[in-house]
Amino acid sequence: MIADLKTISQIPGWHSLIFSLFVLTNVASAAEPQRLTDSGRLKFSPTFCDEGRGLVYAELTDPTMYRLQRLNLSDGMIEPLHTEANTAEFEPAWAADGQAYAFLKARGTLSVSIAVHDAKRVSIGEILPEGGFFGYRHPSLAPEKSRLAFSYGDGGTQQIYASRLDGGDRKALTSSPGLNHWPSYSHDGHQIAFGSSRDGNFEIYVMQADGANQHRVTDHPLQDLRPRFSPDGQRIVFTSHRDGNAEIYIVNSDATQLQRVTDHVERDDFATWHPDGEHIVTVSERKGRHDMYLWDIDQTP
Amino acid sequence: MLNIGSFRARNCHGSGRRSFLQLAGSLPLLLGGATGPVLSAEKIRAKSVLFVFLWGAPSHLDTCDPKPAAPLEYRGPFGVIPTRTPGVQFSELLPGMASRSDRYSLIRTHTTSAPGHPDAGTVALTGFAETPSPPQPNFGSIVAKHRGQQQHSLPSFFSIANGVVMDGGRRIEGYGGGTLSSAYDPFLIGCSAEGQVNFPALQLLDDLNPLRIQDRRRLSGQLDRAEERVEQLRQKTWAGTMNSAYDLLLDPAARKAFDLTQETEDTRARYGYSTFGQSSLLARRLVGAGVPYVQLNYSRHVEAITPGFEFGWDTHIYNFELLQDQHCPILDRAFSALMDDLYDHGLIEDTLVVMMGEFGRTPKISARAARDHWPPCYYSIWAGGGVEPGRVIGSSDKLGEYPATESYSPLSVGTTIAHLAGIDTQARAEMNVLGNGHVIDALL
Repeated sequence: MIADLKTISQIPGWHSLIFSLFVLTNVASAAEPQRLTDSGRLKFSPTFCDEGRGLVYAELTDPTMYRLQRLNLSDGMIEPLHTEANTAEFEPAWAADGQAYAFLKARGTLSVSIAVHDAKRVSIGEILPEGGFFGYRHPSLAPEKSRLAFSYGDGGTQQIYASRLDGGDRKALTSSPGLNHWPSYSHDGHQIAFGSSRDGNFEIYVMQADGANQHRVTDHPLQDLRPRFSPDGQRIVFTSHRDGNAEIYIVNSDATQLQRVTDHVERDDFATWHPDGEHIVTVSERKGRHDMYLWDIDQTP
Repeated sequence: MLNIGSFRARNCHGSGRRSFLQLAGSLPLLLGGATGPVLSAEKIRAKSVLFVFLWGAPSHLDTCDPKPAAPLEYRGPFGVIPTRTPGVQFSELLPGMASRSDRYSLIRTHTTSAPGHPDAGTVALTGFAETPSPPQPNFGSIVAKHRGQQQHSLPSFFSIANGVVMDGGRRIEGYGGGTLSSAYDPFLIGCSAEGQVNFPALQLLDDLNPLRIQDRRRLSGQLDRAEERVEQLRQKTWAGTMNSAYDLLLDPAARKAFDLTQETEDTRARYGYSTFGQSSLLARRLVGAGVPYVQLNYSRHVEAITPGFEFGWDTHIYNFELLQDQHCPILDRAFSALMDDLYDHGLIEDTLVVMMGEFGRTPKISARAARDHWPPCYYSIWAGGGVEPGRVIGSSDKLGEYPATESYSPLSVGTTIAHLAGIDTQARAEMNVLGNGHVIDALL
């Protein structure tokens, strides 16, 4: 499975070649996904980084700690993203152009900030939590380090905001009843997919990056959550409970062509797109263990 | 109580150690050094009690008492699903438990007066406030004392967690023997997500895993090294704890009970490879081995997310996120497997299972889009050991704020547990425990 990296690394776009070799060798498909990890520990929020060469995710490494781990796809090696981290870090988000990433960081008792780093893992800044019990949720980065979207609860509801990467120029993008969550920029930064319970339970919505034109994409009495745009912005992958447990679905951003990807009695969740737009990675529970799996998405309607 | 100074003065090999054990043997022991009343079999409907403590307090509206007709600012974002009990719905986050509701009964009208975790936790585990000191004994301590000497070598009362349950840095007062004395404290045992069992009291010794101890001589050397560390740490209860742990480490029956590898991979997978999942399997093995009382703690700490603490149910922030992403999937899987196992192994008739937290959570969603403490209304689940399954006892009001029918206190929980464990009114009076408590007859 591991090719001659010295030779291949000299080829432009070599990382995509490695990934393709990885996939072809291991025959990932929607029916038979390829398992990428084997620790079995609870995992959350995988996101591709470094132009698809790596996969960063949060893992419950012990009962007191979420740690950000990085899986190197060329050789399968896993190492902490931040070796010096001494507190829980989770919900990583990479900008589609790779220029920055953000994550949540536990700072104290029920107090969580957003930390932002550049591509070299140098801190750009940290958006500190407000007083008392306070936790930001689910950061997402637009390209060119332009904007950071996130959500948090205030006044009994939860809204989505966008700001500069240092937290300045904060603007509310939603203002609805219920909870608005999981903002996720399209790769071009022009749209945001998100979840909202404004109509009674969590459904998938899309809006323009400035909050305009909010429209609903799904409609089911059981929840639909964690949407993410495909690299071309045409489709959205999300988790849904509509068939009895957490499964992965894909829908066009105009709400057409709903496609079920997974079908298993155990949980499939936290789907993210590979930059090639033809594969997704999920955190799936199999025989009681949580690991990441790679799925080949059928492109035909 | 053998103090550390005397322990150091002895020769810690050979006869010195045997003398230590003999002296310690004069102490009231969890390992059956004390004798108790002879109990007639017909008085005991629950030979074992498994108390599942959802420490930190789960939101009742987002789990087993949803209010789909309530306004959005109360009911939250989760949908509801039917259960096997007519007219009863659960949160969509608990499909396994919903499909097994015919195997247990549900009380929806508990109420408590204590607003904070340490005091409410003590009330939940003892039926009484934490003051005056010493506190009243844990329900498990009451059962342990009443049962007296067991035919096996295992302690009569286990608490499964990586230490005494805590709120922040404060240990819960109602964790142990209280007025009955520390001799009836629970034996603490931890279990990792991979099913590795450990004794928190012996964590001074890196390799004192029960399954790695092969011979007394090697253990003796390790205990000598422990002595030095104990002295540094000034653990005054070390002697009694060490005596119990020493015997457990070398007893074949005890080692067998702790060895989760004796289960099939399918069984372990059904519980899930989480700390709570594998701990639930350990709890099942302990009751199967005849342990009278097991307190299975979901986590050691209450806090939802705080550096250095295990992730508990105290969701002042991330209520919906944590329940959806972590706590409910873990709980649903493990509790469903536990129910199935107890039934499949023929243990359910003799095992009383009680699952609850220390209070509920605010029905109205908080300013931080989460839920805070709510003592007036919460729920419990009861199975086996004399309880009629498939019942729903009591109902909360339309917003889930207060009981709309008769309410039940933590004291009534403890009294019912004691009653089903064969500790009748007279026995309770003789031990001076659970005074003025009433049995929840609707469960029987």
